[in-house]
Amino acid sequence: MASLSEEVLLVVKKVRQRKQDGTLYLMAERIAWGPEGKDRFTVSHPYSDIRCQKISPDGKAKIQLQLVLHTGDSTTFHFANESTALKDRDAAKELLQQLLPKFKKKANKELEEKNRMLQEDPVLFQLYKDLVVSQVISAEEFWANRLGGVNNGEPAPYNNKQEVGISGAFLADIRPQTDGCNGLRYNLTADIIESIFRTYPAVKQKYSENVPHNLTEKEFWTRFFQSHYFHRDRINTGSQDIFSECAKQDEKGLKSLVTQGVKNPLVDLLSLEDKTLDEGYGISKALPSTSNANKSVKESSNSAIIKRFNHHSAMVLAAGSRKGDLPTDQASETSSTDGNSRDSDFFQPPLKKVKLQEAIEYEDLQRENTPKTVALNLKKSDRYAHGPVPLQSQQYTTSQDIINSVSYIQQEMANYKPNLTRVLSSTAATSAIAALSPGGVLMQSVGQQSINQMVPTDIQGELKHLYIAAGELLRHFWSCFPVNTPFLEEKVTKMKTNLERFQMTKLRPFQEKVQRQYLSTNLTGHLEDMFQTAYSKFHIWQTRRMMRKT
Amino acid sequence: MKLNIEGLLVYFPYDYIYPEQYSYMLELKRTLDAKGHGVLEMPSGTGKTISLLSLIVAYQRAFPLDVTKLIYCSRTVPEIEKVVEELRKLMEFYAKETGEVNNFLALSLSSRKNLCIHPEVSSLRFGKEVDGKCHSLTASYIRAQRHGNPNLPVCRFYEEFDAVGRQVPLPAGIYNLDDLKDFGRRKGWCPYYLARYAIIHANIVVYSYHYLLDPKIADLVSKELAKKSVVVFDEAHNIDNVCIDSMSVNITRRTLDRCQNNVDTLQNTIHKIKETDAAKLREEYRRLVEGLKEANVARETDIYLANPVLPDEVLQEAVPGSIRTAEHFVGFLRRFLEYLKARLRVQHVVQESAPQFLKDIFDKVCIDRKPLRFCAERLQSLLRTLEIADIADFSAVTLISNFATLVSTYSQGFTIIIEPFEDRTPTIANPVLHFSCMDPSIAIKPVFQRFQSVVITSGTLSPLDIYPRILDFRPVTMASFTMTLARTCLCPLIVGRGNDQVALSSKFETREDFAVIRNYGNLLLEMSAVVPDGIVAFFTSYVYMENIVASWYEQGILENIQKNKLIFIETQDAAETSMALEKYQEACENGRGAILLSVARGKVSEGIDFVHHFGRAVIMFGVPYVYTQSRILKARLEYLRDQFQIRENDFLTFDAMRHAAQCVGRAIRGKTDYGLMIFADKRYARSDKRGKLPRWIQEHINDGSLNLTVDEAVQLSKHFLRQMAQPFRQEDQLGLSLLTLEQLQSEEMLQKISQMAHQT
Repeated sequence: MASLSEEVLLVVKKVRQRKQDGTLYLMAERIAWGPEGKDRFTVSHPYSDIRCQKISPDGKAKIQLQLVLHTGDSTTFHFANESTALKDRDAAKELLQQLLPKFKKKANKELEEKNRMLQEDPVLFQLYKDLVVSQVISAEEFWANRLGGVNNGEPAPYNNKQEVGISGAFLADIRPQTDGCNGLRYNLTADIIESIFRTYPAVKQKYSENVPHNLTEKEFWTRFFQSHYFHRDRINTGSQDIFSECAKQDEKGLKSLVTQGVKNPLVDLLSLEDKTLDEGYGISKALPSTSNANKSVKESSNSAIIKRFNHHSAMVLAAGSRKGDLPTDQASETSSTDGNSRDSDFFQPPLKKVKLQEAIEYEDLQRENTPKTVALNLKKSDRYAHGPVPLQSQQYTTSQDIINSVSYIQQEMANYKPNLTRVLSSTAATSAIAALSPGGVLMQSVGQQSINQMVPTDIQGELKHLYIAAGELLRHFWSCFPVNTPFLEEKVTKMKTNLERFQMTKLRPFQEKVQRQYLSTNLTGHLEDMFQTAYSKFHIWQTRRMMRKT
Repeated sequence: MKLNIEGLLVYFPYDYIYPEQYSYMLELKRTLDAKGHGVLEMPSGTGKTISLLSLIVAYQRAFPLDVTKLIYCSRTVPEIEKVVEELRKLMEFYAKETGEVNNFLALSLSSRKNLCIHPEVSSLRFGKEVDGKCHSLTASYIRAQRHGNPNLPVCRFYEEFDAVGRQVPLPAGIYNLDDLKDFGRRKGWCPYYLARYAIIHANIVVYSYHYLLDPKIADLVSKELAKKSVVVFDEAHNIDNVCIDSMSVNITRRTLDRCQNNVDTLQNTIHKIKETDAAKLREEYRRLVEGLKEANVARETDIYLANPVLPDEVLQEAVPGSIRTAEHFVGFLRRFLEYLKARLRVQHVVQESAPQFLKDIFDKVCIDRKPLRFCAERLQSLLRTLEIADIADFSAVTLISNFATLVSTYSQGFTIIIEPFEDRTPTIANPVLHFSCMDPSIAIKPVFQRFQSVVITSGTLSPLDIYPRILDFRPVTMASFTMTLARTCLCPLIVGRGNDQVALSSKFETREDFAVIRNYGNLLLEMSAVVPDGIVAFFTSYVYMENIVASWYEQGILENIQKNKLIFIETQDAAETSMALEKYQEACENGRGAILLSVARGKVSEGIDFVHHFGRAVIMFGVPYVYTQSRILKARLEYLRDQFQIRENDFLTFDAMRHAAQCVGRAIRGKTDYGLMIFADKRYARSDKRGKLPRWIQEHINDGSLNLTVDEAVQLSKHFLRQMAQPFRQEDQLGLSLLTLEQLQSEEMLQKISQMAHQT
């Protein structure tokens, strides 16, 4: 049995798949199912192939577990053991829940990447179908070139993908729905959870501390929503609440943000006033009640809301720009090391100077010396500003204009004098005329232009694919030259055979098809030429190599 | 470019000029020629500061004997620094054009907190601590003590400055705060005292209002400034409040308790000194007989205890005998303190005038007016004699003695209100004695009297005539300049109704109304979807904002707004608000867009600019009236009515509108900038409100946009924003709102400019 060599983590009996009873095995690296009485698996999925698992809602008659694969297929298991079905299913689910993320990390990033590329690029997809599916070249070869190009040539757009920020209203998107019996149901998606974690690291910490040892995921989020942390305006302090600590940490974070102070001296309200009045002087504007005691509950909850919004916005902003922050931090660090790092005065002035200069600048009073930029030239700025207007004034050429231009041309013609000394020689003129008469060299394009009419569209499409595929193969081929490594040598030979195979399996049938339909065969002439060039190049290279060897 | 302003050669450090800058300089020159005072309004972002500096510097160079000094007062530290930077630019232009280095000395002065370079002292966070610590190192008697005991701590920067700094004048140049610090570090001199010393011979001094308007400081810092100076108050729309604040005193029970402690300490110290060094007290007594003038030696460093008022004749007189000896004075203080305590034990609100108060105190505890007047000065002398190092502890007793001096000096313009509890919490006893100044002209009068030209200027001074009235002076020029625009880059809209036709207003009766709150929320929500980058919204008061935010939160409006932009909210904590502000700017900068909810009259509305994308729209929710139920305000309104014939409502509206204008003006900082100004209250449509907005805003409100619904406003905004987003080049402005020298010299243009200026 195959499973002998593997570690079996869980065995669940009486599991149905496609109405067949069997046993479900959860192993170290895959999940498998075998029908009863047979010692082979009819279903076997490595964990890395599984995208997610779904379970049937509680209370349904059938207790099921569905595995959705990356390919989009799914497999459903029905737990049929009457007494322990639910328990079995949950055991399997829990185990999977722990196993899947481990493999998810491994879970072929590349595969996803390839998948994405194919989906985004229909031409590539077609090429893939032409070359790989029809087994002209292997998938690895196909991708080796592609992904290599992706990784080396233009790493910026793919590898350094810009991090997506967080929506400011992600908590608002979790709309609670009543479930009909005095309860609320929150729908959480992975994105929202990610947002919550990124915005509130304290919650993430709690999560990793408590899930899954103390709480299940569901319980955790239930408590989160119930907690005072989520409903921050309600002032009820339950000390046993796991989130009360989070609230405290947030408070601390906010405090530390505040004490850090601000970098831009122009927005520092603390140092705005030059000389504040001493205590006791001045018209007191509603003396700030220093004691919190006489603040009503409502007031303090109001200010808690305000605090919370400030904090939330700051965190969202920070989560979005965490990566961008790094360079600036480094910059400030380097500047602090060359100055006296303790005395903040030493490196404060530059920023301050810059800000002050910015503030006093009147750009329009100075002569422009910025490089000219290309302005967006809108012909009809009205249309841009208001959108289409139903009644459009159209531009007519007035009759006067027409008359004017006619008379202008007439005048031109009247004054026309042929410059006879500078005309063509008679032979050149004859050949030009010949070329331009029907059947001449230059008039053939007229015939080619009608390819649209002459050739049916399906042939056209096929031809296009052939061109693309051939081009791709030839690109591979030509990229091998100059052949200076053994690897390239091997590759060039392989590519040549690939080319030949392509010619045999793809081009030939097409040519035959075209001939069968009595179309002009020179449709593929150019393709053939290209192949021939490649072959001759290959031969030259081969003979040279042979000569060198001998 | 070089300009000819009625025969005066003015160097202007730019290649182009706005027409209104030219008119502004004309008016300013006329003011200086007449040696009188002026009130000038010009929108922010039209280069007010540089016009002012260019003209006055040119004037100083042309007539060095007529105008010897420019004293430029601004409000906040960043503004002060901006002015100095603009001045630097001007001076660089002078140097480039004339080819000679002129010997202009210009410097800024700020509090110790911003200028101290002493490693320990400057690390303190609060201005008060810095002042106290500095004082404990540099006070005259501390330094005298050190002669006997060289181990005492010392500020080497001050010592160095004292030893050599005074002999060498500060070399000519432009000194911003950081430049002063650098210079101080290089020389080892204290920048603060260096600056204070140097302002006497500097050509241009830039500092904050308080150095001229707060008599406690003005007496020390600005006393010796030459009479032939030009004083400029920039951003002066709030100048009356600054004046009033500097003259008002509040006394609570806590103040009195601390004062009691202070008096006890004084008593003990006197006892101790009497046993060890009785001669010192006798010496002080002798000095006091000779008159207070004598006691003035070495006062420079003793700033902390300056006299709150400056009637010079008081200083000539001798201190009355009843408080001349130290014990008698302490006894006197005790009596006064007990009297105040008794007064605070009231059950109901008391309001009385200063003479009434004096009569009452004479009847009850036999304290005469004269010794009260000398109270502040006498306390100073005593503290100096007792050589008390940590002066910060004695702020309570200083406050009380300042109060005594003020109340006995001014019989008019002040009121005393004793409130046993706060209005909102009538059950909790928290008695406060407000001694509040109602007449801003008292504090500013010495300035008008002493200096030959005082110019009050700001972006929002409308209506112009009210400032001369409440500050009690006669200007020779009053002018309001509008902003010439090649494209209307501001779009004031008055939103008076919600989409459901509910009238929008923050007036007291409807402010709790859910329909109004919801519609306000709707307005913000819709705007957040339309306006790019930053939106700033102002509420009329902090409490109002809290309530609205809470109910928006409950209704889920804020969540919807969050889908469009991040939300930041001003809090009462300045540090927290600064953080929120910075994050707000960051969010605008990186394209996410943000909304700042803020409060009119708050710190943000007064000191922070929202240039370009930091503020593409300002929404003013409601009319920012002051809290009219306050007794202090009522007393002030009464006083204004009786003394200046200004009706209560006129003043309230004026005050509300200047704050509204300040708030919405924050978003437009120049002609290349653009922004929406949304007034969300139907009351703005009335002509008495609208008419009090600055001209440059008023003239863009057309009759069609007086009572819009939210939808209509959104539609207009969309249109406006799309138009504004089109490229705007210099060529578009040239000849209209931007002039070259040739254009300026053409007869036609000059006529046009003078026409525009005379519309006022």
